[in-house]
Order: sequence, then structure tokens, then C-alpha cells
Amino acid sequence: MLFNSFEFALFLPVVFLLYWFVFKKNFRVQNILILAASYFFYSLWDWRFLFLIIGSTVVDYFVGILIDKYSEDKKRQKAWLWVSVLFNISLLGFFKYYNFFVDSFMDMTELFGYTIKSSWTLNIILPVGISFYTFQTMSYSLDIYYKRIKPTKDFLSFATFVAFFPQLVAGPIERASNLLTQITSERHFKYQQTKEGLRLILWGLFKKVVIADSLAPMVDDIFTNYGDYSGSTLILGVTMFSFQVYGDFSGYSDIAIGTSKLFGFELMSNFKFPNFSRNVAEYWQRWHVSLSTWFRHYVYIPLGGSRVSKLLSVRNICVIFLISGFWHGANWTFIFWGAFHALAYIPVFLMGRNTIYKNSVVAQNTIIPNLKEFGQLILTFGIVTFSRIFFRSDTLTDSFAYIDRIFTNFEFTPYEHPLGGNMTTYYLLILVFVIYEYLIRRDERNPFKFKHRIVRVAIYTAIVISMFVFYDDNAQRAFIYFQF
Amino acid sequence: MLKLFKVLALYAIYGLIVGEIIVRVFGLTSDIPQRTITSDHIQKYIPNQSGGWSDGDHEWQVNERGWAGPLPDSFDNLITIVGDSFIENLMNPDECHQSYFLKQNFPKQNFLEAARSGVTFIESFEITKHLDSLQPKYHIICLNDYNIKESISNIEAQSDITQFNTEKQEFVYGKMKAPFAKKILYSWKFMYYLYNRFPINFNKTDDVPKVDTYAIPYLEQYNKEFRSLLDYVAANYTIEDKILVLKPTATKELAALLESYGFKVVLLDDHGEDWTFGYDAHWNCYGHEEASKQITKALKSLNL
Repeated sequence: MLFNSFEFALFLPVVFLLYWFVFKKNFRVQNILILAASYFFYSLWDWRFLFLIIGSTVVDYFVGILIDKYSEDKKRQKAWLWVSVLFNISLLGFFKYYNFFVDSFMDMTELFGYTIKSSWTLNIILPVGISFYTFQTMSYSLDIYYKRIKPTKDFLSFATFVAFFPQLVAGPIERASNLLTQITSERHFKYQQTKEGLRLILWGLFKKVVIADSLAPMVDDIFTNYGDYSGSTLILGVTMFSFQVYGDFSGYSDIAIGTSKLFGFELMSNFKFPNFSRNVAEYWQRWHVSLSTWFRHYVYIPLGGSRVSKLLSVRNICVIFLISGFWHGANWTFIFWGAFHALAYIPVFLMGRNTIYKNSVVAQNTIIPNLKEFGQLILTFGIVTFSRIFFRSDTLTDSFAYIDRIFTNFEFTPYEHPLGGNMTTYYLLILVFVIYEYLIRRDERNPFKFKHRIVRVAIYTAIVISMFVFYDDNAQRAFIYFQF
Repeated sequence: MLKLFKVLALYAIYGLIVGEIIVRVFGLTSDIPQRTITSDHIQKYIPNQSGGWSDGDHEWQVNERGWAGPLPDSFDNLITIVGDSFIENLMNPDECHQSYFLKQNFPKQNFLEAARSGVTFIESFEITKHLDSLQPKYHIICLNDYNIKESISNIEAQSDITQFNTEKQEFVYGKMKAPFAKKILYSWKFMYYLYNRFPINFNKTDDVPKVDTYAIPYLEQYNKEFRSLLDYVAANYTIEDKILVLKPTATKELAALLESYGFKVVLLDDHGEDWTFGYDAHWNCYGHEEASKQITKALKSLNL
């Protein structure tokens, strides 16, 4: 069930009304509803994979209790932590990476003249959201191990935390200290929170339906037939992909956060206008925040973070970017994408500029950015967009051929929409989107923060009309990050 | 919570008003003619309606006899053209109708179109009976495979079309399906726009079979019923004045079977060309003109 589907438009109000009117007795009863709705939501993809979620839930629930129980016995405590980590990594390893490792091994043996039967690879379907919920449950065990939280004894609440449908399949990857705490507390209907939730849902739908899905046919066309296009078109293709993937994933996150608000939950922000980052470090403080902070808290800092020597810090940066790339998919393209970001991040880190923009936005006290900031925005956007050639290409060979063609076949040629659309419409759409996001760049949780109601209503109207215009019911597209 | 519902209701009302204005101003939906059922169970349109087609500049009209398109100048030397939405042809202007093209080729004859979207094979014969009072020389019946299949299959499920129960040898006449809802939907243009724009399809299966591949299986599947239907038609209708025009997607086997019952059959051939609109499965003006050329050839062989 996709957020941008008719089924979800029916499902959400029904669960909302049941939640606040029928299951309103206490939070435990509400949790039963949320859990049932979450399992139903997930089972519409493939009910068999529910057993994986339930398995992950059971293992981490008991492991959490045991880690806490043996807090005085470090050896046993660590052993139980490894049970959780290995179980979740094994799930990921089998369903997501098994074929990758087998293929890579076969390729390697072929280099030495041996051929291994291709029957070693399996026809495995990737369970949707597995990378997200396994990381979420692992963080629970890790937080107990690091004594950041105490384990819950309430299995139902824990199961709700793991399977919470708004963020189950593509995040934000929540921490128990935030979400589980709310799940085990009373929730009360708040008009303001619901209003904010509905606004975020509207904004998220706009980003998905109007920005991401309308750019998708052009991106697909250019990346599929890159050998037929000039350098300028290839740059256009990857630039559009940059907006597509941003609209798609941040749109999903907005809908997830907005939906959670309808039920009285506050999820962490996942996107903070990354297109207005002044360097790559700031970009990673604004893009997929829940994953970046996951790697920071559970990999980078345990490895020593930046409190060790520069050399070790650089190693740590490389490690988290390579793992981050690999997390996105079992393909060398993602590993190269991660490595590229590590290379872009390290100079910023060595110059000590990796945290200087942590608490500010571009043009903090002015209306428009100064020339230096403008240059920084363009450079950062350019670096990030360039890296997405690896992210979007099917193979490394395609990535390098794409890049090669940009440089060796560079000429300005007009691009024609593959379905006959007017390209000017899409250029204007991107321009208006960028300007609007710039205007609201200070608060990612409130995309319609305008003083006058009439302005807000006009924007709502424009957004809804644009969704009608751009929605293509023949090409209802799943969210890109579902594949991860 | 009450405040939330009030605000949502206000926005819903605002949305419906703005939506209705936009849909009407920009002509985003086609007008659909309203139907009626005659005493002899023929579903036709309420006479003298007109409306717009969203993907064209023309205006369709329903004539005083309740059929789409203009009436001929006279009913002398009349040839009727009976069929489904292809002949009804709301999506093209009058100059792209079969009656117009055939009149160009046969100036001494008059052509009356009597078509309605969803007509079945058996219903088209009932329509010819309905039109016999005008004493036409011929009835051209324009059909596709599914018009025949729909006459005899899923009798219970398709209450809005006229069918024939071959077991009981009786008609199951079509009823108006949700007439009140349809009336609202056709008048409330924004709602109709939403209905068309976001079709609700719970089972997600493509229930319209690929017409060029299913003819033989269904002829085999419904062989007994189909022959029973043709036997009934042969026994109860005049065969000699009927010319069956099969659309290009029909098969030669079907044409041969119909010929074996004594019908004059014209199997249209699009020679691999696309006769349809890009956005719609119906014939465009070129398709109609090409079809009319092949029908003309068949009519000329009758020494008209």
C-alpha cells in the first residue's frame, strides 16, 4: 500500500477514526490498533515477510531484557548484543546481500580461470523496508547496551515500535528513546499537531506526485539511453534525478512524519532542505538525517569518531560512508557512491569546517545568500548531483560510461520529453520548487508557515491543482527508497 | 476534534466549489448524454441533447429520435448503421461519422446511425427491429468479438446490457444502472472528473481482454451458446437485409462462422495502421474514413 494510493487514502482515515473514537480507552488499546494496522499495511506487500518483522521483534525484545539483566557481566552482555546484531545483519545479509556476495565471488574466481555454477544465486525477493526496521531494532539493543535506555517489558509496545506503519518501510529510522517512549505513554488529540500533520502530508504528496513522479520518465529515459544523448542532456538527466530522489524520499518522510502526528507521535526530522547546503558535511547533516545519525551514533563514535588521530578519524569517515553506500544496495555503484562522498567529506573535515554550519541556514539573517554562499550552494549541489550518477546507474560500467560521455560528447542540445510533454513546464516546476523551498528553509516541519491564511489557502489550492495536473494514474510509482 | 472536522468540511466545500469551477471553465470532462429505455426495451438517449467532448472542439448532439449524430434529410432509400460506441462516435465531429462518409459515396441513399455505447450483438438486432418501421433497405451492424460474447456470457453480472439466455431461450433486458448516481455524476462535473481521473480498481486485473487474441478461445468456450444464439437470430430476424461489419480486431474464423449463417460479412482490415486516438481506443477521423472505404466497397457489390 503506497502513501500515494487510493487504498491508503481509505486506510488512513479509517485507522484515524478508530484510533481516536473506538480505541481511545488508553494507550495500550491504541497500540493494539496501531500494531494490527501496521501488520495489515505491511502484509499488503507480502504477508510472508511479516514473519521476519515478528522474528526481529521477538529476538530484540528478549535480547534487550537480557542485555540489561547482565549489565554487571560485561562478557555475557556483549554476547547478547552480538546475538541481536548478528541476527539482524544475517537477515539483511541473506535477503539483501546474498546474491551480491555470490556474484562478486563468482566474478573473482573467473579472474583466476575458474567457473562456478550460477545456480548458487537464489531468486530472493527483497522484503520491503528490511534495511529500515532491522536498523531500528538494532539501535534498541545498542542503546540498552550503552545504557542510554532501559528495556521495555511491554512486548506489545515494542512490537508497535518495530512495525509502526508510517515509518516502517522507509524510515525515518527511529530510536527507542524517542518513539518507544511515546508509544508507552498516553496520547491526547491535539488540533495543532493534527493540523501540522495534515500539512506535512500535503507537502509530502506534492513532492512525490508532482516533483518526483513527473521527473521520473525523463530521468528513466536519459539514464536508459545515455549513449544516445549529448553531455548537456546527461547533465540535465542527473540534475533531474537529484530533484526526483529528493522529492521522492523527503516526500515519503514528510508523509510519514505527518501521518504519525495524526496519531499523536512526533518522529525525528529526516530532511532539512539538503539542497541548500554550503558544504558536503552540512549536506549530510540535512540529508537522510535518521540514517546519518544512526551511523554516527552506532559506528562512527564507537570507532573513536573524531576524538582519535586525524588519520584514524579519516579511516572512520571512510568506514561509515562505505557502509552507508552498501546499506543503500547490494551493488558496487552504491559502494562507489559512498566512497565518492567520503572523498568529498574528508577535505571539509581536515579543514575543520564539518560542523561550522550545524546550527544555521544559508542566508541566516538576510533574504538572499551572498555571493560566497551562492557559490558554496552551487558547488555542493554539483558535487552531490555528480555522485548520483553512481547512485542511479545500473552498473559501474554504466556510471563511468555516463561520466565519460558528459566530457567527451559535450554539446548543448535541446532535450525532448519522451512522452511529448513540454520541457519548459518542468524547468519552471523545478524553479518554483527551489524558490519555494528556499523561502521555507528555516523550518522543515512547517512548509506552510505564512502569516496570512489567504496565502496559505492559495498555496494549498495551487498544490492540489498541480497534483491533479501531474498525477499519472497509469504510472503509479513506488517510492525509490523502498528498494533499500 | 470537532474543530478539525469543521475545518476539513470547510476545505472540502471550498475544494468542491473551486474544482467545479476549474473543470467547467477548462472543459476537463466530456458531457455524457442521458439515457432512457423505450417500451420495446431499447436503451437510447433522451432526444435533443447536446454537449462537449473534452478532447475535441466539436459539440455532439442527440437527434430527435434519440440517437447520436444528425438525422438524414429523408428516410427514403434508408440504410441504418447500428453499433456501439464506435458508431455512436461522440469523440469525433459529424464530418467524421460513418453516415457522413457513406453519404458522400452514395448520394442517393440516406444513412441513419442508431448506436449506443455498450450495445451487444443481440441488442443490435433488437435495434434493427425497432428501426424496421422506417423501412430501411439494409441494416449495417458494426460489431466486435466482445459484443457477441457479452450477449451470452455472465448474464447475471451485466444487468445494464441486453443479453440472451441461450439455455432458457429468453431475453434478459438491460436495466438502467444506477440512474440517479449517473445523473448526479454527469451534472456534478468535478465529481465526474475525479471518477474518470482516479478510477477505482480494487482487483487490479485487466478485465478487458486483448481483443485480437481471445476470439478463438471464447468461440470454443462458448461454442454451444454462440451457435444457439445464432440459431435464434437466424430464426427470428431477417438475415438478408443485414450487413455485419466486423472491426479489424475480429477474426476470420468469426467472419466465416457468421457467413455460414447467411450474413453478408465485411471484415475490416486496418493493414497494420493505427486507426485509434492516442488517448482512447476508439477510431479517430482517419480510422472512420478508412473503415467507410471498405464498407463502401461492400455496399457497391450490392449494386446500390
